[in-house]
Amino acid sequence: MKKKIQDIIQKWKREKEYQKKLKELKKRDPFTYKNF
Amino acid sequence: MVQLGISAFYHDSAACLVVDGVVIAAAEEERFTGIKHDNSFPVNAINFCLQQARIKISNVKEVCWYEKPRIKEERVNKIFNKRPFRTFFLKRKAKKSFQENNPFVVLKGIGYKGRVKFIDHHRSHANFSYYTSPYQKAAILTIDGVGEWETITISKGQGNRITKVYTVDYPNSLGMLYSTITSYLGFKPNEGEYKVMGLAPYGDPSKYIGKLYKVLDKSKSKLYLLQKYFTWEYSDKIMFNKRLCRLLELPPRLPEDTLTQEHKDLAASLQMLYEKEFLNLVRKSKELTGTSNLCLGGGCAYNGVANTLAYKYFDSVHVPFAPTDAGSAIGACLKKHTKVSPYLGSEYKNSEVKKLLLKYKDKIQWFKLTDDKLIRTTAELLESQKIVAWFQGRMEFGARALGNRSILASPKFGIMRQKLNNIIKKREGFRPFAPSVTLDDAPLFFNIKEPVPYMNQVVKAKVKWLPAATHIDDTARVQTVTEDFNPIYYKLLKEMKALCKIPVLLNTSFNRKDETITENPKQAIDRFLDSEINFLVINNFLIRKI
Repeated sequence: MKKKIQDIIQKWKREKEYQKKLKELKKRDPFTYKNF
Repeated sequence: MVQLGISAFYHDSAACLVVDGVVIAAAEEERFTGIKHDNSFPVNAINFCLQQARIKISNVKEVCWYEKPRIKEERVNKIFNKRPFRTFFLKRKAKKSFQENNPFVVLKGIGYKGRVKFIDHHRSHANFSYYTSPYQKAAILTIDGVGEWETITISKGQGNRITKVYTVDYPNSLGMLYSTITSYLGFKPNEGEYKVMGLAPYGDPSKYIGKLYKVLDKSKSKLYLLQKYFTWEYSDKIMFNKRLCRLLELPPRLPEDTLTQEHKDLAASLQMLYEKEFLNLVRKSKELTGTSNLCLGGGCAYNGVANTLAYKYFDSVHVPFAPTDAGSAIGACLKKHTKVSPYLGSEYKNSEVKKLLLKYKDKIQWFKLTDDKLIRTTAELLESQKIVAWFQGRMEFGARALGNRSILASPKFGIMRQKLNNIIKKREGFRPFAPSVTLDDAPLFFNIKEPVPYMNQVVKAKVKWLPAATHIDDTARVQTVTEDFNPIYYKLLKEMKALCKIPVLLNTSFNRKDETITENPKQAIDRFLDSEINFLVINNFLIRKI
């Protein structure tokens, strides 16, 4: 049970980090390949 | 007939002037504006080309535009219409951009009212590669991000005829996939791809290759990318989404974050995936054309590591000096085989240089030397571990400095690589430098299959004692030099041989991090003064700081 909770917390933390990095990258203009 | 070739509004804007089938001049806009990969209308490059030929815009009979903007606009609209609400503002932005960048409008702005010929994006790549090759029969493989619709094409070239035999369309793009992971690794897309290639040998490709392959649907007969991982179709800010992060189980890297082993492993996996898919396309090119020669084009042809693998199926491989959109300005004009030198840019006379040197007389000291004396002295300086900026003749066209706008050093001393990376060019320490070698001596030092004049193949070094010019995996992006190709640079390499038995020089472009390659002598002197470069050579002048 404890391990399950730890896994969920870990997963949640990872998701948070992805979200944070994506948000930050979006601010870096232009951080994409122009497709038009 | 006078033709003006133009590539604009995407990336690497450029112009070229072709008179009666001969390429007179060509330049990339970035060299004049200082904006790397400048995508604006190349008005400076056009003016340079016209000045070089001493003609006016009214003398131009035909403008050859490197792609078909209307078809591209159709593609953009069709893709945006898949998600009309999500792309509402983006669609408006695109519409405005297409209106402002209408070729007829911008050409009218510079006083041109004549004929405009539009060539398919990938056909321009194919033209440039095939018509500048020595082959009368060849397979032509073009791979890039995207043109109008196409992202990959295979064509058959025979005589002056090019016939397209295979295509892959957007959004299935090998180039876009490479750029996506480039941005995932914290490097700027369409600019940092070569950094990823340089990083790859430090990593273990087995770590992410399985995960990375999950973005491809291998049940399809053509390259098919699962769009659920990417945002190209509806974002102009980022290229991937959280699903890709979950798949890779690695957070994306911001440019300022430290490079970890995971990042190196991901770079290695991407390079491996690219090489495998590239080899599949090379094999297909062989099957569909049955020829023994291969011409490569499109931005992906700068992947020198992959290019070398094409020898598995072909006897001879040609990669032109500017396979990206810049070269398409030339490709759009060509209709038959033409010998084109990469030295198509600006050139400055000794008298102009002297006038300029006088303005800097309190900061520099200079000596005007004969060719022979200049070569001997420069070789001696290089042998004594000095770094020399070398500015000669006409500027190169394309991303590579091929011995006319170069920073040179001896490859024998490992310290040179650190010095150049950290102090002079101020760039990432993992990035390798390329060696130039005389063609006649090249087989002694490098495992080359045929001449590589444009630095677009990565080959194994045969010797271990060129630490500054070889990568961690003992490979090098070599440039072979002949006397016909660049006489003064060839003589310098030969002088190095006479002096220390090694006709090899470390050759890197004359610029610092995030700068464009030096175009004119003023820029050369300013950059020389503002760096740790020991000596500067401009034409016959040897210059040192006071």
